[in-house]
Amino acid sequence: MSIEIVFAGLSPRALTVEMALAAVDSPECGAVVSFSGVVRNHDGGKDVARLSYTGHPSADAVMADVVPSAAKNALGTADPAASQAAPPVRIWAAHRLGPLEIGDPALVCAVAAAHRGEAFAVCSAVVDAIKAGVPIWKEQFFADGTMEWVGAESR
Amino acid sequence: MLIRYFAAAAASTGIEAEHLQLPNGATMADLRTELARLHTVSSTDHAPALAQLLERCSFLRNGIAVKDTQLALDTDDVVDVLPPFAGG
Repeated sequence: MSIEIVFAGLSPRALTVEMALAAVDSPECGAVVSFSGVVRNHDGGKDVARLSYTGHPSADAVMADVVPSAAKNALGTADPAASQAAPPVRIWAAHRLGPLEIGDPALVCAVAAAHRGEAFAVCSAVVDAIKAGVPIWKEQFFADGTMEWVGAESR
Repeated sequence: MLIRYFAAAAASTGIEAEHLQLPNGATMADLRTELARLHTVSSTDHAPALAQLLERCSFLRNGIAVKDTQLALDTDDVVDVLPPFAGG
């Protein structure tokens, strides 16, 4: 089964699930799965006021690499009976950079496929791969005026 | 060589980059030891000292991820210090 990366990259502008869904839409696809990772108002028991994401200069290139790679791995373990003639799995994935408020989408992914098995598997794998492998950093600002670089503190 | 710091590493050291002179044949492990020696105190409350942060950092040498701590470095290398990724 082939893969079509409609988009995989970073965005300094606001993301919406709707833009991702519209981008992967195809009459050949019977299943569309989307994910939106949004900024929540708490972390580790503290009230979060806002966030800021920054990326390494290579982050766009890393996104373009890990998204198809994760999708291929996921399809390798998905329905082995899936036909070679199936339409391509269409993927749109973006990570936001810059300042974000509570409720803003930070990571949005939509995957359209002929059937739901591939769509669920690929969407989940792509989101996991972006979180694990793309050099993006999160600065978290708490309601009490303190802040932290997520992942940098000893836990 | 040029060492570039990002995110929490830049906040901790208070600088975005610095030039270091290491002996010929110095390895990635030697560079880590030198960075820990130079940066024992954080310049901010928001991030630990680089000496502590280093063990959770990954490194790029001239844009390529370093897997081998015994990798020999060149004097004109650019090494990026990347704190733990936190996308999503």
